Amino acid sequence: MGTVGLKSVQKSFGDTTIVEQLDLDFPDGSFTVLVGPSGCGKSTTLRMIAGLESVSGGTITINGKDVTHLEPRDRNIAMVFQNYALYPHLTVLENIAFPLRATKIPREAARQRAQEIADSLGLGHLTHRKPKELSGGQQQRVAIGRAIIREPAVFLFDEPLSNLDAKLRVETRSELLAIQRRLGVTSIYVTHDQEEAMTLSDRMVVMREGKIAQVGTPSEVYSSPTNVFVATFVGSPKMNILPGVLEDSTFTIESGHSWSLPHAHAGSVFVGLRPEDLLLVPDDRGHAVIEQIELLGPRAVVALRLSGVKLVSVVEAAELASLAVGKAVTVTFRPESTHLFDGDTEERVPTQVLQREG
Amino acid sequence: MLLPLLAVSGVAVGLPLAYAFYLSLTNFSLTQQGPAGFVGVDNYQGSLTNEGLWSAIGTTATYVVIAVTLETILGLLIALSLQKQKWARDITRSMLLAPMFITPIAVGLTFRFLLNDQLGAIPYLLDGVGISYDFLGTGNALLTLALIDVWQWTPFMVLLLLAGLESIPKQPMEAARVDGAGALYIFRRITLPLLVPILSVAILLRSLDALKVFEYVYATTRGGPGTETETIQYFTYQTGIQFFRLGEASSMAFILLAIVLPLIIILFRRLDRAK
Amino acid sequence: MSSRTLMSALRGAFLISALAAVLFPLTWVTLASFKTPQQLNDPSLIVFQPSLINWSYVFEAGILQAAGRSAFVAGITVLISAIVGSAAAYVISTYKAGGSATRFGILAAQVLPPAVLVFPFLTLAYVLRVNDTLIPLIFAHLSFVLPVVTWFLIGFFDSVPRSLEEQARVDGFTRFKAFLLVVLPQVYPGLGAAVIFGFTLSWNDMFYGLILTPSKSAILPVAIAGFNTFRGVELGSMSAAILVAVVPVVIASFFIQKRLVQGISGGAVKY
Repeated sequence: MGTVGLKSVQKSFGDTTIVEQLDLDFPDGSFTVLVGPSGCGKSTTLRMIAGLESVSGGTITINGKDVTHLEPRDRNIAMVFQNYALYPHLTVLENIAFPLRATKIPREAARQRAQEIADSLGLGHLTHRKPKELSGGQQQRVAIGRAIIREPAVFLFDEPLSNLDAKLRVETRSELLAIQRRLGVTSIYVTHDQEEAMTLSDRMVVMREGKIAQVGTPSEVYSSPTNVFVATFVGSPKMNILPGVLEDSTFTIESGHSWSLPHAHAGSVFVGLRPEDLLLVPDDRGHAVIEQIELLGPRAVVALRLSGVKLVSVVEAAELASLAVGKAVTVTFRPESTHLFDGDTEERVPTQVLQREG
Repeated sequence: MLLPLLAVSGVAVGLPLAYAFYLSLTNFSLTQQGPAGFVGVDNYQGSLTNEGLWSAIGTTATYVVIAVTLETILGLLIALSLQKQKWARDITRSMLLAPMFITPIAVGLTFRFLLNDQLGAIPYLLDGVGISYDFLGTGNALLTLALIDVWQWTPFMVLLLLAGLESIPKQPMEAARVDGAGALYIFRRITLPLLVPILSVAILLRSLDALKVFEYVYATTRGGPGTETETIQYFTYQTGIQFFRLGEASSMAFILLAIVLPLIIILFRRLDRAK
Repeated sequence: MSSRTLMSALRGAFLISALAAVLFPLTWVTLASFKTPQQLNDPSLIVFQPSLINWSYVFEAGILQAAGRSAFVAGITVLISAIVGSAAAYVISTYKAGGSATRFGILAAQVLPPAVLVFPFLTLAYVLRVNDTLIPLIFAHLSFVLPVVTWFLIGFFDSVPRSLEEQARVDGFTRFKAFLLVVLPQVYPGLGAAVIFGFTLSWNDMFYGLILTPSKSAILPVAIAGFNTFRGVELGSMSAAILVAVVPVVIASFFIQKRLVQGISGGAVKY
């Protein structure tokens, strides 16, 4: 069992507040990712859960027990750091078995257990090596093995994949997920990489400047971002954001171009369109010009300029036949795929398509 | 966890320091029978007007300037050469660094006899080329002692400067070479400026150490000829131990401390910045 | 000859002369220790029949006991310094305990002229009636060895990543256990160098030794100075005594060179 609860948790240094009044619940067995740009407070939050950082306000509970003022060792957690923090002077086996030295479990039993875990992670033949003799991926697995051996209530991960090269990162990601599913331990994972967050999490917590911007499943966050920040943070290439005015179901941007957008809302808005929802129609009298085409195998990223506004669209490779750099196109979109945000608050405006008569 | 350090330091340094200050305000003398009388700043007044003390300060200052300058230049040259050396590196370095680990009295005594005109090898060799030089005679003694200091402590400079040379980034120099700059130019305009932090730390450390010079004087000239080689530490030793005037000697030591303190502060700032 | 080879040759010649300058006095002393008083009168004598007369004299005169006392004082000083110093260096490095004032104090204590502290040590020794033991000397040596060892170690502790200690705390250990089992082992090489360096500093001291110990139980450097008697030259015995003091330390120095710089500069330069 491993539920974690944060109530009004706050972290401040003097006048600066790093984390503001956070309320968050982590159900047993869930894999939650805290994601956001540098400085958003995600690492600080994780470290407060771990007990490595003191809490300025609020309470943290693990399995219902108030751990807010407990030392890390009394919280029944395990943590994997970005640089793995493997003990350089110990062998792989000793590293994995190390946490058990703080318990009453006899040395021999601990070593045996460590060997089992090492085997299960594909490290069985490396147990006598020292960390510096291992590759990055192997070191990471040792760190995970060391975390597993304590059978903790919660796993905490602080950007553990950032030090791996891109390909290794993707491989290790799926391994990590498999391990978590197998063990069923509640996991809280911090990263700045939104792609990682999307692929790993059951639930994503997007953070910004010490506050939660949105909580939800990856698909919720992707398809219904609650504000402009989340909309542009999640998804690659970034969502196109067009500032303009919506009136009488017509959306007009600064340059004067307009589109039909059936919606009851009126006022200044931001219209968000994912690159894949931006449709390009070759048109000699089109209002946009293609500036760059990047082929990515089955798809291509097309960069356009519409009267000074930069737009990005993603098209299927097959459609490239009719497109070329310098060509003019007309940009359209389906109204259902727009994301509407209030021009002042940048908050999502619920999509209500105008009722049709009859 | 800091407590033990503070406790031990308190006893080993703090207490004596405080007591020394107290002593400096008394007319304590080891030969005295009764308790020490409080004389306030009399000692300081006496010391500050003591010609012997100022002469000692001057002598020591000259000594430090000569010795440290030579050590810096020589040290730099040796460090530069060692850096480029390809063969027998570790052995050479170990041997070149050996002098700084020898107890200074041994060094002083060794040179006392090496330079002795009857028994020493150096006058013998110089005699072979027709040079006769009275190393520890009038006018030469202080220089000779400074040279002994150079023999023993240049390795210290070499150690620090070598480390400094090996830790400065190589790219600026490589870029300059690609751009066609000559070796001397690279050294003057790139290497040297990059070395300034460690260079200043080394010079300060060595100077603070050099002004404590005692053993060489004790081994060779005992302050002579006349008072030519009376350094501060030796002068204070004489006042306190040979003449038993502890109160006075303490006041002299504190005057020395006052002179030295600004140097220590500068060193501290430099070290902080170098990090 | 290209300028490259010329430079190389010059460098080589320069280093060889430096080596010669270093080895010359040391060789001379070594040779002198094996010469009889008559042989010593001739400074040009290089090939000769060696004699052990000086060596037996110094051993009889108690040089080994003096060396033993030096080792004892140095050993205790270094032991205390290692324990107290590593704990202090750790908290100073990790938690910046004591702030700049402490670090400044540590630096100042190392470079303080001994003239300042020696008189109170002497007086206090008389007052506490320990003036004919080695205790005042140990305290005097502590006054500079402890700061040096601490200063040394701060630099080494600085290079241990914080996450190592945090990992140990998460893994189930108290801060102290984390320090002992995980952080301290990382600085063992530095600790070794600090201990050897501290030992050398204590072993080499003559100023405090001269003033604070009774002449009957002198420490080694003072004993060496003792051969410089009014009788004039006891050159041979003195040379033997010098070698007794010098050889162990120079050998030890070979082992610590690599770590020495990091220690001396307090971590400012990583070697």
